[in-house]
Amino acid sequence: MPNIEGRATAITVLTPVKRGGPLLLWLVFWAGRNITQTLEKLEKLSFIHFARWAVIKRFPDENGGERLNHSYLIFESNFNGAWEQYIDAFSEVVRLRMQAIWGTSYGFPGPLPVEPFKAYIRHNEFVANHYYSAYAGATTTEIISAARVEPALEELKARAATMDAASFKVAFGEFLTKVQRDL
Amino acid sequence: MNHRRNTCGQAYALSVLTPIRDGQEAPLVRCLNDLPEGTGSPLASVAGTHIARWVVIGDVVYEGAGQRRPDHLSAGRLLFTSNFDGPLEPYLQRLCTGLAEVADRIWGHCSGYPGRADPGAFAAYLRSHQLECSLFFAAYGGRTVEQVEHSLTTRRDVIDFALRAQRMGAAELQSAFREVFAA
Repeated sequence: MPNIEGRATAITVLTPVKRGGPLLLWLVFWAGRNITQTLEKLEKLSFIHFARWAVIKRFPDENGGERLNHSYLIFESNFNGAWEQYIDAFSEVVRLRMQAIWGTSYGFPGPLPVEPFKAYIRHNEFVANHYYSAYAGATTTEIISAARVEPALEELKARAATMDAASFKVAFGEFLTKVQRDL
Repeated sequence: MNHRRNTCGQAYALSVLTPIRDGQEAPLVRCLNDLPEGTGSPLASVAGTHIARWVVIGDVVYEGAGQRRPDHLSAGRLLFTSNFDGPLEPYLQRLCTGLAEVADRIWGHCSGYPGRADPGAFAAYLRSHQLECSLFFAAYGGRTVEQVEHSLTTRRDVIDFALRAQRMGAAELQSAFREVFAA
């Protein structure tokens, strides 16, 4: 199915940027990389695997790139869950950042109310003709949880080598308590 | 190209935009739509690929009267994006060998594509059509595909074992744990 691979969903959006927008975007993204907590905010949206923005001033070709009347902003995201919920969460949790980024694009209605925002994304979205995930059955939360379970298990394994059965049963119970939120 | 902007942890965001040859858009769409999905995807043969896609962009979207002037691309573009275990150069080589003849079937629809017979020319072609990210987010950018898959398997094993272990006595629990987790 286009845009969906297992539990992963693709979104690809391309929007024309207003005059002066590229400079504002340079500042917004510089701040996103260096000052503000944009990446931490995105981390809170615990269903995003990977996301990126890029500003296209020239569309690459064999002649140094094709320049249009406007620069373009490309956004791609890979997330688990439904498209509607993703846009809902985006408009709620990173509202100001979305305003700062897409506010430089023509036609952006603002992140709230969410229905015009969804219509805007749909209007500018391109469907993935082929989409692949190496672990399509896993959500972002499961991947991050699994990364916490593994070292805890290794620690238990190391300790278990010198334990008698009764001590091990206690240690195993402690291990489960420690990782229960990640299972 | 500032490669640091395409990087989050060890994860690298590759974005390549290549011009589609005249009259080749529909055949390219058919070619991409016909690719096997899931574990049969040609991208499954490119080690280190977390999530990737191909998207055919026929033309840019016009936002209506609010936009200063409409734009039109002289040629449609093929967008290829991949989130992979960096760095870039070894990945471009893995793309060339892993995709094998599928690479020619896909990018053969694009202007200037040199083919994969010369891996150096193949890599140079993708590099010369690469976009630089303004902002890249990876929720688990420190983890390779192999690490993600391993920890997901470990987590599943722990869940299965914890369910089985509920009614085990101490000696049986310790013995079963050693057997399952090679402790």
